[in-house]
Amino acid sequence: MSKRRNWFCGSDEHRISRRGFLSTAAATAGSMSALNLLREPTLAAELKKQDKRVILLWLAGGASQLETWDPKPGRPTGGPFAAIPTSVPGIHISELMPKMAQRMEDTAIIRSLNTKDGSHGGGARMMHLGRRDEATVKFPDLGAVLARELGSVDSKVPDNVSFYTATEGRGNAVGQAGFLGARYLPMSLTTNSKPDDLARLESISELDHKQRHDLRELLSNRFIEYRHSDSLRSHNEAYSRVRGLMASDKLFDISEEPQSIRDRYGPSLFAEQCLIARRLAEAGTPFVKVSRAWWDSHGQNFETHLELVSELDHVMSTLLDDLKQRGLLKKTMVITLAEFGRTPKINGSLGRDHFASAWSCSLSGCGINGGMVYGATDEDGQTVKDGEIDAGDLFATIYEALGIDPHTEYYVGSRPIPLVHEEASAVTEVLA
Amino acid sequence: MALARHCALLMRFVCFTLVITFIESNVPSVIRGADLLPEERSIAEVVDHYISERLKQEKIEAAPSANDANVLRRTTLDLVGRIPTSGETASYLADTDEYKRQNLIDRLIGSPAFVRHQVNEFDALLMPGNKSSLREYLLPAFTENRPWDQMFREMMLGREDDPEQKGALQFVKSRVGDIDRLTNDVSVTFFGVNVSCAQCHDHPDVFEWSQDRFYGMKSFFNRSFENGGFLGERNYGLVSYQTTDGEARKAQLMFLTGTVLEEPEFAEPDDEAKKAEKKKLDELKKQKQAPPAPSFSRREQLVEIALKSGENNYFAKAIVNKVWNRFFGYGLVMPLDQMHPENPSSHPELLEWLARDLVRHKFDLTRLVRGIVSSEAYCRSSIWPGDSRPDPDMFAVGSVRPLTPFQYATLLRVATANPDLLGNDQEAGDTESRLDNLENAARGFAREIEYPGAGFQVSVSEALLFSNNERVRNELLRDSNDMLIGKLKKIDDTNEIVRVATMSIWNRLPDPDEEAALAAYIETRSDRRDEAIGQMVWAMLTCSECRFNY
Repeated sequence: MSKRRNWFCGSDEHRISRRGFLSTAAATAGSMSALNLLREPTLAAELKKQDKRVILLWLAGGASQLETWDPKPGRPTGGPFAAIPTSVPGIHISELMPKMAQRMEDTAIIRSLNTKDGSHGGGARMMHLGRRDEATVKFPDLGAVLARELGSVDSKVPDNVSFYTATEGRGNAVGQAGFLGARYLPMSLTTNSKPDDLARLESISELDHKQRHDLRELLSNRFIEYRHSDSLRSHNEAYSRVRGLMASDKLFDISEEPQSIRDRYGPSLFAEQCLIARRLAEAGTPFVKVSRAWWDSHGQNFETHLELVSELDHVMSTLLDDLKQRGLLKKTMVITLAEFGRTPKINGSLGRDHFASAWSCSLSGCGINGGMVYGATDEDGQTVKDGEIDAGDLFATIYEALGIDPHTEYYVGSRPIPLVHEEASAVTEVLA
Repeated sequence: MALARHCALLMRFVCFTLVITFIESNVPSVIRGADLLPEERSIAEVVDHYISERLKQEKIEAAPSANDANVLRRTTLDLVGRIPTSGETASYLADTDEYKRQNLIDRLIGSPAFVRHQVNEFDALLMPGNKSSLREYLLPAFTENRPWDQMFREMMLGREDDPEQKGALQFVKSRVGDIDRLTNDVSVTFFGVNVSCAQCHDHPDVFEWSQDRFYGMKSFFNRSFENGGFLGERNYGLVSYQTTDGEARKAQLMFLTGTVLEEPEFAEPDDEAKKAEKKKLDELKKQKQAPPAPSFSRREQLVEIALKSGENNYFAKAIVNKVWNRFFGYGLVMPLDQMHPENPSSHPELLEWLARDLVRHKFDLTRLVRGIVSSEAYCRSSIWPGDSRPDPDMFAVGSVRPLTPFQYATLLRVATANPDLLGNDQEAGDTESRLDNLENAARGFAREIEYPGAGFQVSVSEALLFSNNERVRNELLRDSNDMLIGKLKKIDDTNEIVRVATMSIWNRLPDPDEEAALAAYIETRSDRRDEAIGQMVWAMLTCSECRFNY
């Protein structure tokens, strides 16, 4: 299980082409906009990523790997729950996830994250950005990158949606488009499951709403003629998406779903938001994040996890079934991720504390080699003993699985910035 | 080890342009004072001379001047942060004085709103994306037109016991928890040089000193700390770092140009002395007092070297470039934080001349602003009907710039107020105070709008907000008497409605076909005329003409 980092070979040829690229970039810097995507896509690569989407289940506060994907039954660190066999021989997960255990074929478990940052703020930022913050570059988060890479400019559906209805830790779950610009910011749902400003006010009729929109467009087009600027164009693009997005209002309305489907997901808010996520994915939204708080179980870890993992098990398995039945799982990746895991050591309050040195996440569906476990921790779960990866490697794996070259470069000012940090590389074993 | 080597190689190229900076910044500038236009020429003349010269070389004919209404709007937005009122527009259009533009500039620069707008712009420049603000300090500073070098000195060295300067220290204080960030922010903000690349990577064969430069700059700040809300500086402490080859080094006190400053030897205090120091600081914290001043201040050394002539004028050129960028939507050097020889200015002599002028005139920013907006280059039309629009660094065509949140929010307030209440007499004190009130009322809305940076894109949430949020309807589209719509619905003649609306919202009269289209819009909805007026106002407010300075 070695990890190859071979994207930059260090050869003279490679070096020269990079040098050539940079000097060209410097020479033309004057005529380029500050942000420019430098790439020469092959048609195959472009086709490969068409129509892909991601649903991220964000387990805010830090879910315990020991009570989910990496149980250590019988060890002093193991806690009271057993491990159960799954539908894939040789893979065992926590007994709190019996439904997922029956559906391991499409899921890869990664047990070897070592991300080093055990603070909520720093950890959450890292697991959203795939790298450490840098003082001078505001990086885009996963959702913004995917909105840009997988979305289409004139999409009629939102391309980056983020649910976070709980208040705990909401500030940590960054939704930042960084240097990609506000176009890719998430539509952020914090108070209920319907976005703000998507529905027409009753005080204006549908006809007048549409006609004043047309009038606005007419006036703007007159103004734009003979005046060229990317910002100016983005203004009209934003307004041109409004009516289409308003039509997507019903995607957020689960009363449009048959009762039998709603019953399958269940009545919890997390379940309902996952059902909306499925509706959005089906309609073509590239990225939806559904956040479930609050997993920060410094005390009573086992009771907390009994409740939260059971819900996750039910909702996640329902979501995967639903996507699969609709033929959507092949093009939809479902991820479970948090800012870190929890300590193997059980503290005096029967809790587990923050732990970023050896923890787990899962990837299912699109581009993923299901039914496998990558990486391993030692017998007590204290350290990674095999296949250690960091946030950048995980992000590289996600991008690669979606058909996006993780070393694609964005160009900010005079500086090329690859999608993932320079040393990161995808875990090829996890890729289908 | 092989991996580290690859990494180092890669980073060399990532930082390639930056690194070149440091090599060449040791070479004296090729432009000598004697080669420049004489000092006594006016800024506007010099701007136009150098801009035209390059246009001639490139055989580009510049766009003609924008029309009066456009120049009035652009200048008013740029100098006082709002659009002109109907009354101001009408009297400017009717004015036949050959010096009317100069009079306009004088009037705007002389008004209190100019200071407020300078404060807004500089607060955004100095504290981008920062929760804390320098407004409290900047307001008196711009009111008395304090020289920029003095402001820099106060921001770096302000005395805690001087109420006037205390606020200036917020620049350092808000960043002192992260010295790397402080180092880079000072370099970017005051010197136009982004040193962040050099933080992590050393290139032992050729560019071994690139890290020295970053850590050299960091050394000016490493002794600074916060104690109970007060800024202090120690007499001791060195910056050490590890090169990518693993060699541990101690940083020298080194400015961006490579100049190393000598400093007195210090004795690192022993544990006992450090304990005593800690105790003393805790006491001062309790007594809410500032830590004692250091006997040798490294931050002070930075100010001295940065303002010394012969150190490449990084300080003067950086602010000239930023002010230029503000008025032209594009810097003389782009990107703004890459001011180094490998990334030369589009107009090196102009940049040099303006920097020299700024230094000779005691860093008077108002003089610089007045000079720039007085130039012909500033007034060019943003329309380019031809095929190949010249590159922005030619300054041949007027730029189209997104408004700042505060400008847009104020615009919305001024545009939708009943124009009768804003008066026709531009000198009237109560008009000024009404405009102040509108400006204050705009603060709430400004928070909903994103601050535009390089490559700014308008978000769909902004479009949704304007399309469907109740607040827009309640605050901007009310038909009460104090509002534009209240006035418009009392006008019988449809064409007159259109003319009053365009004067208020677009600060110009409508073209005949616009007038016809808008009048037709209202007339075909005669069954709900008042509502139709509201929809028309909405469309005019949200169309691109309103969202940008053009």
